[in-house]
Amino acid sequence: MTAMTLPEFEFRSPETLEEALKMLWEKKEESAVLAGGTDLLVDMRSRIKRPKLLVDIKRIPELREISYNPETGLVIGAAITLNEILKDDTVRERYSLLQKAVSLMCDSILRNRATLVGNICNASPAADTAPPLLVLDAKVRIASVKGFREVKIEDFFKDVKRSCLEPWEMVTHVIVPDPPKESKGTYLKAGRTKEDLAIVGVAALACKDDGKRVRIAYASVAPTPIRVREVEEMFAKEKPLPDLIEDVISVVKSRISPISDVRASAEYRLHLVEVLTRMALFEVLGGVQDG
Amino acid sequence: MVELRIRVNGEDRTLDVRPNETLLDVLRNRLNLKSVKAACWRGECGLCTVLLDGKPVKSCLVLAAEVNGSEITTVEGLGLDGRLSAIQRAFLEKGAIQCGFCTPAFVLVAEALSKLNPAPTEAEIRESISGVLCRCTGYKQIVEAILSAISR
Repeated sequence: MTAMTLPEFEFRSPETLEEALKMLWEKKEESAVLAGGTDLLVDMRSRIKRPKLLVDIKRIPELREISYNPETGLVIGAAITLNEILKDDTVRERYSLLQKAVSLMCDSILRNRATLVGNICNASPAADTAPPLLVLDAKVRIASVKGFREVKIEDFFKDVKRSCLEPWEMVTHVIVPDPPKESKGTYLKAGRTKEDLAIVGVAALACKDDGKRVRIAYASVAPTPIRVREVEEMFAKEKPLPDLIEDVISVVKSRISPISDVRASAEYRLHLVEVLTRMALFEVLGGVQDG
Repeated sequence: MVELRIRVNGEDRTLDVRPNETLLDVLRNRLNLKSVKAACWRGECGLCTVLLDGKPVKSCLVLAAEVNGSEITTVEGLGLDGRLSAIQRAFLEKGAIQCGFCTPAFVLVAEALSKLNPAPTEAEIRESISGVLCRCTGYKQIVEAILSAISR
């Protein structure tokens, strides 16, 4: 049956980054990077994507790296799977917000293949890793035959399923700086089931030593994952927490543009934004803000 | 064509595959391992799950060419001398089988879990099988079977 068969393509699995980048440069739009394949192969089977060349990057040693040091932070290579992130002690101890979001993604079998870099490169508005990366000020390292560049995760997402990547570029690593000292974060996700995509996802990070700021970012409420910077300063005000949270929610609602789709109506998404924002803020401010 | 060298259920195999053949295509159609079920073809149902170097993966979303040099296990490779594995026996004893279509996938996930975690809790078992769908029994007997087999 044709629907089950993948379209034809050429397959390469280079062992160095240089070789991989050369292949992407030669084929440009006609090439695609293959990491876990859990999004790409689904889109190819349904003919949404028809690359002529797949470049499997899993045999490139530097992309298999996950490491941490206090200056740079956490470095996650493009071939690192979601389960490898969950197993990492540093992630568990220092990046619990990211750990929680990853643990809520798809299922434990798919997490043996799916990658964090693939999740952001797919650039779905529903990407669960995006809200934590947004509030943690992550950076994306991009390589091509022309050299390397680094962009803020906020500048990486451009539109629905569109990132700032050129067809001959690839993401090699995501870099997550150390979270601010004495910060507390959470990720809350509403979905039909745990395995399904987020109807709404909210990441919140309260930073005590940063003028009582709270950073908030969302999945599935706008064309891209979105950090609502306008609310961050509002937490410095002297106001009872419940009132403050209601003020924040009204600003958030003016900055997002949820749509109705197969999973939920726009109205329901707005309602979930209220509920989840309130829950997330009570959770992260419980231990940080007085009163 | 890509030359593929893999070890399947303990046996070395070499075959030429087309780039667009999945691991599922190769196991079912070329190596005749019919325990690996083809159903949704999009990673949702989990019925094509096999062990790739000991870890469960959904073989409809893995290209055969990607796994060159790896070791694959299907339920045909479980047990010794025609005897069922402890997990397979527990599925029978606990009535964790109805139509049987999903059983190979659940058994393989349980085999992988037992190597990773010698004493899983019920919650950990439910998390590990969350990527496999069963439309007959519900999951209660399946969880009981895995619990009894691993804690045995």
